[in-house]
Amino acid sequence: MLSLDINSVSVSYSGLPTPVLDIASLSIEAGSRVAITGASGSGKSTLVHILTGLERCAAGGSIRWGGVDIAEMSERSRDRWRGAHIGLVMQDFHLFPGLSAVDNILLPARLSRAVKPGDPDRALMLLYAVGLCRADQTIETMSRGEMQRVAIARALLRKPGVLIADEPTASLDSDSGDAVARLLIDLSVSNESTLIVVSHDPRLTGRLERRITLSAGRIASDREHREKAA
Amino acid sequence: MTRFIFADLRRLWAGSLVVVLLIAFATALGVAVTLQERALRLGSARAADRFDLVVGAPGSETQLLLSSVFLQPSPLPLMSGDVLSKLAADPRVSWTAPVGFGDSFSGYPIVGTSTALATNLSAMSEGRVFSKASEAVIGAAVTLPLGYAVKPMHGTAGGETHTELAYRITGRLAPTGTSWDRAILVPIQAVWGLHGMDAYGHEADEAHAENTAGDPAAGVPQDEAAHHDDPGHGEHAAIDPDAPLDEHWTAETPGLPAILVKPKTIADAYKLRQDYRGNGTLAVFPGEVLTNLYATLGDAKRVLSAVAVGAQILVAAAVLMVTVMHIGQRRRQIGALRAFGAPQSAVLMIVWLELFILIALGILLGFAIGYGAAMLLSAMFSGESGIVLPVGFIRDDVKSVIAIVLFSAVLALAPALLAYRQSPAAALRA
Repeated sequence: MLSLDINSVSVSYSGLPTPVLDIASLSIEAGSRVAITGASGSGKSTLVHILTGLERCAAGGSIRWGGVDIAEMSERSRDRWRGAHIGLVMQDFHLFPGLSAVDNILLPARLSRAVKPGDPDRALMLLYAVGLCRADQTIETMSRGEMQRVAIARALLRKPGVLIADEPTASLDSDSGDAVARLLIDLSVSNESTLIVVSHDPRLTGRLERRITLSAGRIASDREHREKAA
Repeated sequence: MTRFIFADLRRLWAGSLVVVLLIAFATALGVAVTLQERALRLGSARAADRFDLVVGAPGSETQLLLSSVFLQPSPLPLMSGDVLSKLAADPRVSWTAPVGFGDSFSGYPIVGTSTALATNLSAMSEGRVFSKASEAVIGAAVTLPLGYAVKPMHGTAGGETHTELAYRITGRLAPTGTSWDRAILVPIQAVWGLHGMDAYGHEADEAHAENTAGDPAAGVPQDEAAHHDDPGHGEHAAIDPDAPLDEHWTAETPGLPAILVKPKTIADAYKLRQDYRGNGTLAVFPGEVLTNLYATLGDAKRVLSAVAVGAQILVAAAVLMVTVMHIGQRRRQIGALRAFGAPQSAVLMIVWLELFILIALGILLGFAIGYGAAMLLSAMFSGESGIVLPVGFIRDDVKSVIAIVLFSAVLALAPALLAYRQSPAAALRA
């Protein structure tokens, strides 16, 4: 699990008068489970992109994961670092049709040439852990809830230090959303990953111990909810 | 990676198929033009190679070649018959044979000639060479049985049938790969006889001499009306079907459209050509005439090749455009791959390989289609002309394939680089 320390992070797009993200300082302890909330356009997705190294912040800012500043890294190094340390779960799953569930789980590691001998077995084990038993079932024949479970299994394959989920329950029905919320928390605990969830779903955010609310790209509130996490 | 690429191609099979077919047909066009032109050149050269020297009356060298070597029906002026006797007696000549055209049967040209040609053109695959005025030898591609009675028709289509004589087929020549495979070879004395020039009929011969330019060949009037109005032609001499062959050529021999000559040596060939260019004759080397013809056809080939290349450029541009649009549609997928940790190089490789596989398949299929089309065209042409057009690739084609494949590889890099340079965050926002 990795801790996070952000300092002076700012992201601006040309044509916009103010930065879409402007965070002076933010720390997240290793192993903690944090919800990021906020209205549309508040900068949640940009924060996810910054945290995962998909987007660069303005010069001078630092994003330290476990002491390593990914803002200083080259594109290639960030790709490699992201593959090794970040498990990403997105609202639209981004699974690849035509491939089976287990192939989808292994695909990122295969593309990074980082598959270890035990990974195929771990992929099957993760599928079982998320409640799926048909490893060879192709993605396009699955329900949305099943797809998100595969996406969670994929995110955990390489035992990432951080699990980041961007609206993981937004496109799921109530039951599936509930199940996915439980899985995310349980598996992040069992995998000893720091969990950061961007969500509007109170069933999910209510289970997390800390809630950071963004507004206009800035941290509007940062509250602990230890009693609920327990 | 390959599993992902093939899954992607399977998912987008309809679009992929269209791209492959577009490339295949564009490639096939170029391949077919190249192979067909080469086959035509090679086939005609091989067909002409069997005839060292052709002597005719002054006029078009190309026409003389087309009529005598490729048996194309067209009017040829006549030369004096004593040229044949002089050539036959020439010590530099190995053998010589007159050729006279004008009649046909079931689409097969009937060629009057001598046993010298029938025995030297090719071996007999069955039967024997003609030995009487009413006998005939057929080429390998003539689908008539031995013993069949051939009733000659004047001209090539719609002419009157000669009732005075029917040829009985006595032998079949082995294949030569030339137009002569579709020919019915008969004694030239029978042709002369059918057209009122038998027994070296002076009257008819003189009539031809007065109007040789209008005659197709061997004293056979090209115009049917002229044929009937001409009393010299209208009264055909009686022909004895059992008359023995008379191949003693003299100064009284009727006018001829062409004589095929086999010189003893190369030096003799050049000397003969020199001696028979002028004074009422025109001697040509078929190969030389073909070379000049190729030079003219070369321009046509360049035009066809330019059209093929133009089509290929258009298709390449279309494929590139479709691919770039496709990359635009796949932005989120590419962004997701990067988000899950796939390196830029993997994204580049995926996009490049996907397009390159489609292009390579298209090129391969295009070569197969082009080859098939060239084979089909050659078969059709051979069926009509008898000339075998050898369709085949040569070693230099490998270089062309490598050049095309390399060009395709570079072309496929353009969309791959677009994907490579794409910001994953921007792609995910798309």
